[in-house]
Amino acid sequence: MKLRKKLICAIMLVGTMAMSLTGCGEKKKDTFTVGFDAEYPPYGYMDENGEYTGFDLELAEAVCELNGWELVKQPIEWSNKDNELNSGSIDCIWNGFTINGREDDYEWSVPYVDNSQVIVVKADSGITSFDDLAGKKVGVQAASAALAVLSDEEGQKELADTFGELTEFGDYNTAFLELEAGAVDAIAMDIGVADYQIGNRGDEFIILDEHLNSEQYGIGFKLGNTELRDEVNDALKELKENGTFDELAEKYGLSDMTCLEFE
Amino acid sequence: MEYLSMKNIKKSFGDLEVLKDISLHVNEGEVVSIIGPSGSGKSTLLRIATMLETLDYGEIHYLGEAAVEIVDGFSVYAKAKKLREIKNNFGLVFQNFNLFPHYSVLKNITDAPINVQKRNKKEVMAEAMELLEKMGLSDKADYYPSQLSGGQQQRVAIARALALNPKVLFFDEPTSALDPELTSEVLKVIKSLAEQHMTMVIVTHEMNFARNISDKVIFMDKGVIVVEGSPEEVFNSSNERMKEFLGKLQN
Amino acid sequence: MSFEVMLEQLSSGMLKSMMIFFLTLIFSLPLGMVMCFGRMSKNKIISGITGFIISILRGTPLMLQLMVVYFFPYYLFGWSIGGWRFPAIIVGFSINYAAYFAEIYRSGIEAIPKGQHEAAHILLYSKPQEFFKITLPQVIKIILPAMTNEIITLVKDTSLAFSISYIELFNLAQQIAAANTTMIPFVVAAIFYYVFNLIVSVVMRGFEKKLSYYD
Repeated sequence: MKLRKKLICAIMLVGTMAMSLTGCGEKKKDTFTVGFDAEYPPYGYMDENGEYTGFDLELAEAVCELNGWELVKQPIEWSNKDNELNSGSIDCIWNGFTINGREDDYEWSVPYVDNSQVIVVKADSGITSFDDLAGKKVGVQAASAALAVLSDEEGQKELADTFGELTEFGDYNTAFLELEAGAVDAIAMDIGVADYQIGNRGDEFIILDEHLNSEQYGIGFKLGNTELRDEVNDALKELKENGTFDELAEKYGLSDMTCLEFE
Repeated sequence: MEYLSMKNIKKSFGDLEVLKDISLHVNEGEVVSIIGPSGSGKSTLLRIATMLETLDYGEIHYLGEAAVEIVDGFSVYAKAKKLREIKNNFGLVFQNFNLFPHYSVLKNITDAPINVQKRNKKEVMAEAMELLEKMGLSDKADYYPSQLSGGQQQRVAIARALALNPKVLFFDEPTSALDPELTSEVLKVIKSLAEQHMTMVIVTHEMNFARNISDKVIFMDKGVIVVEGSPEEVFNSSNERMKEFLGKLQN
Repeated sequence: MSFEVMLEQLSSGMLKSMMIFFLTLIFSLPLGMVMCFGRMSKNKIISGITGFIISILRGTPLMLQLMVVYFFPYYLFGWSIGGWRFPAIIVGFSINYAAYFAEIYRSGIEAIPKGQHEAAHILLYSKPQEFFKITLPQVIKIILPAMTNEIITLVKDTSLAFSISYIELFNLAQQIAAANTTMIPFVVAAIFYYVFNLIVSVVMRGFEKKLSYYD
């Protein structure tokens, strides 16, 4: 008897699931799903109230308001970002997303932030230049732009080869803990992230004056999806003109880094 | 009336011929004991009679109904439905009791009559209690098999077999798994069944017991029936193999 | 973020983890039985195919299977997979766990002495009666300790849903930790997992006790 009840229950659940699936299968046009890494402040993260926010997400919100879309914030596992985008479960990757090196992989919006890859070390470590990194342990986020630069022959591969070890980590929180504990001597990352982390953690850490490279952030759309990209570009232009963009940049301390320009 | 007839039974396991053309007849109310050294094929014969094992060749009839017939030189089992009806005619008591450990004594006895034979629950319960009383186990109805001694378990197993009201009851070495001091309580029960003229086929190593209660004794060795007849005839037989077998047992 | 908000957030994550847990159990327990029958089938083709499927499911990482289940409708058929994320997790977890359960069921069924089947046969139980009245109750008792292990593992495995970006307890803890540069969410998450598993163990021990009326 019990088994039969369980079976009926299971069949009903499958039914509901199938229905909800077909229901969601037809994506309404007025939603705009942004894929982002929720562990990437100040661009995308969870705020005091447990809401997802950040410079990129607020900007996306403003774009949606302009275009009459409903914003869906979908945190994604970063290493799966291409699968998520190609399969249509997200409309774009909007998350301090570096254009350089990925120019041909996505339909890019106009670049809106000029970012650099930098090295963060402990203030009392005695490391002040790239030369001091020889033989040291350096951490870098898996699948990140910093890693791309450090593995690129035309980038900083030569420098990376002088490191004692290049280790990859999953999220910045762990990486800073490792740095603090001495498990790594330095971390390579975006300057914006570095500023945010050091702002939160105090002056125990410093950014080296030398930069690994200079790079730009854009919004990545699926190849071929120029229509959506153009709509977002137009909205960005309007937000730049009415001052919303600069207000947001100021709010998140990114004013020095913005580069949104239209011909 | 002839309750069981087995004719020309042959059975091999691979190259080993276990039964070589065995025939056996059991009449209503008869008690037949099968004795013989281990490996003689007596247990296999019992397993074929109860259809736990299929035969290679031969015929089996219960109360005149064919369970296995020879058709065009091949042995053919009856259709499933018919076979089920025929199987209703017999019960089997195993060497290792094979009680259901998750059922109480009472449920072990009553579950098949109620759920298989679809008989009236009250009636079955009353009958089961009667059976338990006969077995001297009235106070154990709510016990689980693991709480009982081997002798008690075997008596429950006999009650379980009797609850289905079989025409023929088979016993496969019913006391072999028991400590010697527990065998007598089981043998006593079987003896009382014999006195009530229950038709029984018993594979056993208990020679005195076989001699005392049997109407007919069959001595098997190496897949053939060597001697058969009344207990006196068999146990006093001048056959060499029979004498050797009894001699070994006495030592 | 205040501690209350964090607790509230993590509780909602816990709820999602529990959804995965319960739905996976509801589907994988019977599905495992089907796989087990396939595996034990007398038909060589059926048992061969089922055996192969089970070995793949047990021999590759669950995280990988989740990604395959989630993304394959798009890559194979070009279907949009919007809304498929949560169902994909349940499907992925259910078939993976069904494979493990199937092998546990099989070991349990094979542990039932032959004499039990022979007794059921002689007493003329039908095949379904024999399975549900004689075999299954005894199998459940035999496999309960192994099932407890597997179910406790499932509680912890729910965190693998992060691989296809389902925001459950562990993923949420990571996000809060990142935003607030603190380890506290991980401590809270650990306590949540532990308490849930404690409850699971107590429930399973209750079942074991209930079945200890016979040896």
